[in-house]
Amino acid sequence: MDRPVFTISPTEAKSMAESSSLTLPQLLPSLVTSAQSLARPPISNFRVAAVGLSQSGRILIGVNIEFPGLPLHHSIHAEQFLLTNLFLNNETNLHSFAVSAAPCGHCRQFLQELRGASDIQIIVTSESDPKFTSLSQFLPYRFGPHDLLPENAPLLLEPRNNGLKLKKKLANGVCNGNTVNEKLKIAALEALNKSHAPYSDSPSGVAILDCNGKIYKGCYVESAAFNPSLGPLQVAVVAFIAGGGGEYDEIVGAVLVEKDGAVVKQEGTVKLLLEAISPKCELQTFLCSYDQLN
Amino acid sequence: MAEPRFIIEASEAKSISQSTGLTLTQLLPNIVKSAQPLARVPISKFHVAAVGVGISGRIFIGVNVEFPNLPFHHTIHAEQFLLTNLSQNKETQLQYLAVSAAPCGHCRQFLQEIRGASDIPLLITNSDSSDFTSLSQFLSHPFGPHDLLPKHVPLFLEPRHNDLSLLDLEASIDDSIAGSNGYTNQLKVAALEAANESHAPYSESPSGVALLDSSGNVYKGSYMESAAYNPSLGPVQAAIVAFIAGFGAGDGAAEYGELVEAVLVEKEDAVVKQESTARLFLSSISPHCRFNVFLCTSNNKIKN
Repeated sequence: MDRPVFTISPTEAKSMAESSSLTLPQLLPSLVTSAQSLARPPISNFRVAAVGLSQSGRILIGVNIEFPGLPLHHSIHAEQFLLTNLFLNNETNLHSFAVSAAPCGHCRQFLQELRGASDIQIIVTSESDPKFTSLSQFLPYRFGPHDLLPENAPLLLEPRNNGLKLKKKLANGVCNGNTVNEKLKIAALEALNKSHAPYSDSPSGVAILDCNGKIYKGCYVESAAFNPSLGPLQVAVVAFIAGGGGEYDEIVGAVLVEKDGAVVKQEGTVKLLLEAISPKCELQTFLCSYDQLN
Repeated sequence: MAEPRFIIEASEAKSISQSTGLTLTQLLPNIVKSAQPLARVPISKFHVAAVGVGISGRIFIGVNVEFPNLPFHHTIHAEQFLLTNLSQNKETQLQYLAVSAAPCGHCRQFLQEIRGASDIPLLITNSDSSDFTSLSQFLSHPFGPHDLLPKHVPLFLEPRHNDLSLLDLEASIDDSIAGSNGYTNQLKVAALEAANESHAPYSESPSGVALLDSSGNVYKGSYMESAAYNPSLGPVQAAIVAFIAGFGAGDGAAEYGELVEAVLVEKEDAVVKQESTARLFLSSISPHCRFNVFLCTSNNKIKN
C-alpha cells in the first residue's frame, strides 16, 4: 500500500504547476480533495484538508484528527496539522494555503503565532467563488503575540533553544539502564528545547516510539490566546501520521519531558490521550530545569 | 470594598441610566472597567471583562479565569464566562456586547453558537472608537452551527431538554465515601438537570456538573459545545462560573477550597467523555473536594 503523502518537494511542486500552466498558489486548491481522504475524524466525519505553500516552494498537507472518548479540546485541526508539518520540515514561514472549509476562529487565532500572519493568503474551496484573501480579513482587530511579547522574541517556526537540561535525579526514581528509553528521553528533551511556549514559560516535549523502532518528536506549541495551544503529544501524533504511521496502537513507547515547577503541566493530560489511543503504552515523565545539578 | 457582582437587575440598570443621564449602552464602558478586577488571572495578569445587555434589560458580566498547573485548554475566557452567565440566568438573547479588548479567535468562534451571532453589536472599550460593530466584521466567512446542524435544532441560549435519565448503577465512587450522602443525591439531581440543558449537538454527549460549597449551596454547570470543537466549554468550568458568579454576597469572593463535593452526570455511551478530565481539573483546584460520577441515558433508549 502506498504511504500517504503529506509533503511535495519544491522541484516536484514546480513541475506539477508547470504541467498544468498554473502558479504554485493556483495549484493548491486542486490538491485539497485528495488530501481530505487522509483526515481522521471519527466523531464528526467532517474531513478537512489544508494544503499549504512555504516560501521555499514546498507544498505541505494538514488534515483534521479527532479522538473519540475524550473531550473535544484534544482535537487537532487541519491548519494546526499544517503548521506542525511546516515545523517538521524545517520551514520557517507559510505563504498561502487552500482549505476545504472556512478556517474556524480557533485556527485563525492559532495562525497568529507566525510572523507575518496577517499576510498569509487563504482560499476556501467550498465557497461558490473562491478567492485568495489575506488572514487579516479573516481575523481583523487581531489579538496575538505582539500584544504580549517583546519585539525581538522568536515566534513560531523561528529558531529557538530553550536551554533546558534533564534533572539528574529521575522524577519517577526508575533506574535507567534502558537504551531505548534513553533515546526517547533525549528526543523529548530536544523537542522541549524547540517548544514555543513564551506565554507560560512552560515548554514541553514528547517522543513516541512505534513498533518499527522509529521515534517521532512533538513539541508543545502555545497560543497567545491560551486555549488554542497544541499539546506535545498531539504534535508527536502529527509527526507519526505525516511520517507514515498507521494505527495508534503501533505506538509502543512514550516519554514526556516538562519543566520542574512549570505553571502549565502536561503529564495528567498526556496520559489521558495516550491511554485513549494506545492503552498498552505507558508514559514515562521526566523533569528538566535550567540547572542540571538540582 | 464592593462585593463582586455579575448581574445588574433590569430595574437597577434603568435607575443607574436615569440618574447618570446615560443610555444602557453608554454605561457599558464604565461597567467593563469596574468588572476587570474580578478576573482571576494568576498566569497572564491580563484582566479581561465582557459585559452583555440581555433582552430582559439585565446586564451580565463575564471575566477571564486561569488555572495554574493545568494545560491552557482549561482556561475560561471572559466572553465564555458571560455566555455561561446568560445561560444560567435563562437570558435568551444577547442584545449588546462590550469587551475590554478585542475578542480572540477562539471567542469569536464560541460566540457563533448563538442564533443571529453575526448581528450582535460589539464594542471594544480599549479602542478609540465608541461605536458598536457587528460581530460579522470580526469573523467573516464564518464557520458555525449552520454548517453542521439542521435549521430547526435549538442553538445556545434557546430552551432545550435532552430527555436524559439517570441509570441506577453508580459509575464511580470516590474512596472516601462510605455510604450515601443526602447532599450527593441533591447534587445528582442538579447535575442531571444541567446535563438536560447542555448544548452538545455535535457529539450528542451532553453532560452536567453540580458543585457543593461548605455552606451547603449548590452550583450547576452544563457542557457547552462549539461547532469548531476545541472552543467547547467543559461542564466543570461552567459550574465554576456559576460558583464565582453566584457566591453569596457578604462572603467575599468564591474560593475553590470552599468546594466540598462535586458530581458529574454524563451519558454511558458518550463519544465525548468528561470524567477523567473533570477529575484531573478538580484535584488540581480543590484537592479535598469529593468527586462522584453518575451515568445517564436517553429516555428513548429506556423506553425501548
